[in-house]
Amino acid sequence: MTATTFGWLVLLFPLAGTVVLGLGWRSLPGRSAGWIGTAAIAASFACAVVCLAALQSHHPGARQLTSTLWDYAVTVGVDARLSILVDPLAVMMILVVSGISALIHLYSVSYLWSDRGYARFFSYLNFFVFSMLLLVLAGNFLVLIIGWAFVGAASYLLISFWYRRTTATRAGIKAFVINVVGDVGLVLGTYFILKHTGTLDFVKTFNAVPHVFARDDGDLVAGCVLLLVGAFAKSAQIPLHTWLPDAMEGPTPVSALIHAATMVTAGVYLIARLHPLFERAPAAADVGAVIGCLTLVVAATIALAQTDVKRVIAYSTMSQIGYMIMGVSVGAYAAGLFHLMTHAFFKALLFMAAGSLIGAMAGEQSLNRMGGFRRAMPFTYAAFVVGGLALSGVPPFSGFFSKDEILLVTGERGGWHWILYVAGYAGALLTAVYTFRLIFRAFHGEPVKEATELEHGHLAHADHPFNPATGEEEDTDVGFPGPEHHIAERDPPMRLAMGVLAVGALVAGLVQIPKVDFVIDHFLHPSFADSALYEVRTKNGLLAVGLIVGTALGLAGVAIAYRIWVTRPGTAAAIQARLTFVHRLLVNKWYFDELLDLLFVRPGAWMGRFAQQTFERVVVNEALVGGTTGLVRAGSAAVRAAQSGFVRYYAGVLVIGIAAVSLYFLLQS
Amino acid sequence: MSVALAAARLHGPHIDWGGLSPILALLGGAVVVLLVGLAPRREVRRLVASGLALVAFAAALGCTIWQWDASKSIVSGALRVDDLALAVNLILVSAGAATVLLSWRARASGEAGHGEFYALVLTSTAGMSVLVAAQNTVSLFLGIELLSIPLYVLCATELHRSPSLESGLKYLVIGSVGSATLLYGLAMIYGATGSTDFDAIASAIASGGLASDPLLLTGIALVVVGLAFKSSVAPFHQWTPDVYEGAPTPITTFMAVATKAAALGIFLRFFDVALVSAQVSWAPALAALATISIVVGNVGALGQSSLKRLLAYSAVAQAGYLLAGVVVSTRAGARATVFYLAVYLLMNLAAFAVVVARERETGLGDDIAAVEGLGASRPWLAWPMTIAMLSLAGIPATAGFVGKLFLIQASADGGYTWLGVVIVVGSMVSLAYYLRVVAAMWMRPGPSLGATEAASPYPAIAGGSPEADPDAIGTSTPAAPPAGDGGPGAGAREGFQPEVVGLALAAGAATVFFGIVPSPLVDLARAAGNSLLGLF
Repeated sequence: MTATTFGWLVLLFPLAGTVVLGLGWRSLPGRSAGWIGTAAIAASFACAVVCLAALQSHHPGARQLTSTLWDYAVTVGVDARLSILVDPLAVMMILVVSGISALIHLYSVSYLWSDRGYARFFSYLNFFVFSMLLLVLAGNFLVLIIGWAFVGAASYLLISFWYRRTTATRAGIKAFVINVVGDVGLVLGTYFILKHTGTLDFVKTFNAVPHVFARDDGDLVAGCVLLLVGAFAKSAQIPLHTWLPDAMEGPTPVSALIHAATMVTAGVYLIARLHPLFERAPAAADVGAVIGCLTLVVAATIALAQTDVKRVIAYSTMSQIGYMIMGVSVGAYAAGLFHLMTHAFFKALLFMAAGSLIGAMAGEQSLNRMGGFRRAMPFTYAAFVVGGLALSGVPPFSGFFSKDEILLVTGERGGWHWILYVAGYAGALLTAVYTFRLIFRAFHGEPVKEATELEHGHLAHADHPFNPATGEEEDTDVGFPGPEHHIAERDPPMRLAMGVLAVGALVAGLVQIPKVDFVIDHFLHPSFADSALYEVRTKNGLLAVGLIVGTALGLAGVAIAYRIWVTRPGTAAAIQARLTFVHRLLVNKWYFDELLDLLFVRPGAWMGRFAQQTFERVVVNEALVGGTTGLVRAGSAAVRAAQSGFVRYYAGVLVIGIAAVSLYFLLQS
Repeated sequence: MSVALAAARLHGPHIDWGGLSPILALLGGAVVVLLVGLAPRREVRRLVASGLALVAFAAALGCTIWQWDASKSIVSGALRVDDLALAVNLILVSAGAATVLLSWRARASGEAGHGEFYALVLTSTAGMSVLVAAQNTVSLFLGIELLSIPLYVLCATELHRSPSLESGLKYLVIGSVGSATLLYGLAMIYGATGSTDFDAIASAIASGGLASDPLLLTGIALVVVGLAFKSSVAPFHQWTPDVYEGAPTPITTFMAVATKAAALGIFLRFFDVALVSAQVSWAPALAALATISIVVGNVGALGQSSLKRLLAYSAVAQAGYLLAGVVVSTRAGARATVFYLAVYLLMNLAAFAVVVARERETGLGDDIAAVEGLGASRPWLAWPMTIAMLSLAGIPATAGFVGKLFLIQASADGGYTWLGVVIVVGSMVSLAYYLRVVAAMWMRPGPSLGATEAASPYPAIAGGSPEADPDAIGTSTPAAPPAGDGGPGAGAREGFQPEVVGLALAAGAATVFFGIVPSPLVDLARAAGNSLLGLF
């Protein structure tokens, strides 16, 4: 069996899982739904590993394998096939996606156990994994768009999983609307490119690009910018990022899987996959780099002032994806994807640990109410620290190597890229500060009531279930979270999943140590063989500077956080009082929600009202609809009136018809 | 003497049994089934006749597949066996077999006599096979008559129900006018070109500069009318709603899918082979007829409450879509038409099978009320119907969408972009009535039980016991067969009809399958289109 066969199998298992769980949910006792879902993804991961082995047995020059299951519509100008492209980039993505997903499924087996929608959850989750794998395995734009849209739909379903919470459904709608804006961008961008190349296939497109497009060709830049709109929407980059923090309304495993480790990195993958286009249109690539850099700084500042545990991590995700987008936009493909991989490990770990913490607080998510969990939850604490150190870029944790490499390549591009380089390091400092602010506030200091009770072996339980966002009371029936809470200290599946990820966060960076080994660089090389910017990093250049500055900033950030929130607990309040304006700005997330509201939502609503009250009532309703339906209705009446039921009339009409047709033909002569 | 006989045998014409085998299987089957109709016991007649009919259809199907990729003229050039004929044959034979399945519990076959009923279905199918293979005008007319005459009878097989008789009579009268028109047209074409063979007609037109000859053009006009009549193209469609509604539903199914496939098959062959040089003359007329058909069919279907009438008007509109592939006279057009015919078979089978099942279950006849609340009570019937309706309307992920896509593309490539636009607008209007059926199934409560009990679909005509079989009428024994014996019991409404539900499900599933994986049907249609050698 070839590598592509395993590529198809990778897709098959999650799809089968979705169908089995979706149809058989009534007859799945106990936790079997969870185990079926987990097994499907684990099988998919196993196939991904075999796929990797099969791919590596090929000669490096022949590691781009395409396979077509069937042709959908192949005619002049369109070649819509159901095809996948298996190459090192795709294989790396399927390994990350299926691997992390398998662990998160495992975690959810326990975490969502008391929820009434248990089987539904796993069916959705399997569907998401299928969609994401379809997205990264896509061999042409059509399949990419299908996967892209499916992922958006799966995200919507999972954010709104607790569908009786209005906050959750509203967040789901917001995410879906913004994602659809991105979908439109992706489809239009594809059209701009298809119009010139005449093919949807990736490999053919890449081969055609140098011949068809001049450098910075107008249509190509427009197409690439539209593709970037798609990437920004899915990867939560400014200004299309406002859905991501709200998406934390979904269950915590969903936040870990979709809104941290996999789906939001689709934009990074897209730019890396379509790099021949972006290298031909440097203007568009520059847009990506600048927006990525802007996002990484802005999101890091917002994370400093948020008090909801999950939202802090969400902004951190935005910020880290900013690094990746910036990386792949400046040509640091291997570094960007390396960071994607390490980030998937430590961010999923952080979210899982946060889930455990929230479980211990009986659903409460506000940092203001947490404190002193260090002794009560040693495992969760350790997981948080490992994840936090990796995120802050402290050596030898994984984030250190990958983040540094992005900045290194950016700096080496020279020119105005220096601004990005410096901003990236500024962001690194902020990252360490907000990460350890979170850890110190939740785990250090005076233990709160829940923490002391937990030390005595008593897991907190809310008397009345409530919505952590609004404080509204709710019940525990279907459509709301279940009655029980779960923490890693007590549930082996959760502990296992977090343990594996913690090891990953610790050692994943070692595959690519500067000047020692270049596993990722070499592995990905066949996918980027045609790139002018791709090179295996062997130069010294800024390397030493970067490593030292990176380490120093990471440690400094931790130290600052320790000083503000542990040794002198009043400092934060003092700073807040001094810089009221800045604090308000950050708490309100730079007023991006309000800005989008002012710029798009309100004018849209106003135009909608206008259109409804004047345009629609007069023009559409009266003239168009009324006129057309009247016409159709009259026609219908006429046809029925002609249908008298009398044979003689029918024969008459027949003769008239014969006469008319004959007359026409005789006029031809 | 024996030497003379042997010599005669030696000099006899060469008979290509292989090429003829599908038609022979059907006609042979008809003879055998007719003989079985003489069997003494009613149950035996029912089971054996329908079983043998199925065997005959299966044999014809096998022979058709066996002959695949053939390209030869047989019977002295009267018939042509090529992929177009064989592809349409596949559709016809499948439709025939489905009709047998749907008729298995029908009253019609019982009232008319099982042997006669199935023999007529087989004969009619054989006529259609002759028609799509016709290579000269004589076999064309022969095929038309051979398919029509059994159909006139079949429409009237529910002897105790006046609408059925009415529909048979109507079809006979109007159909005779249509046949006569066609015959006149063929005669005039013969007069103008001096030939009955399609290729000879084509070369006569091309070489003789006959393209503006009044005699030829009048002939073409009359042929257009005759064939438009058979494929129920407006304004020659008026028999369609009445006949479809009155005929026994299995026969309606047969007419809707098989007759249409045969008529469109000969449309393709006659216009794209024999008259291809005169395309500039006839294409605008056909395009106009297609447009009228799309408008009349879709608009007429809007106000219908009878499902069969609704599907009849829908058939008129779909005939318009199908004609678009003929109008352009390109290989892409022929391909699109054949593809759509195959799809049309699937979606109509699904829809009609559900109508048949509900007719027998509810007693509401074919009124749209019969499917109300079906989504909740019988999802296995509601799904095929839903798929069929969506596919007929051309919703993506169904085969109907792909079929329409090919037709529109063929019209646009063939210089008839406006006809493609008409198809799109027609599909838009059609949603109004297709979705009405879907809404009735999923969004309305089921019909109340009282109404179900009260109305019987078959008001018995004076003296006629609902018990169909003449034997049963003749005997005065009150010991009617118990309702549970599976026979087409009197007022007893059928509960479980596995063959009908199975057919609906299979057709519905195939409709979705070919909407997602159209390539097998595309290959079939491509082979059929490529067998029209004169086209590009």
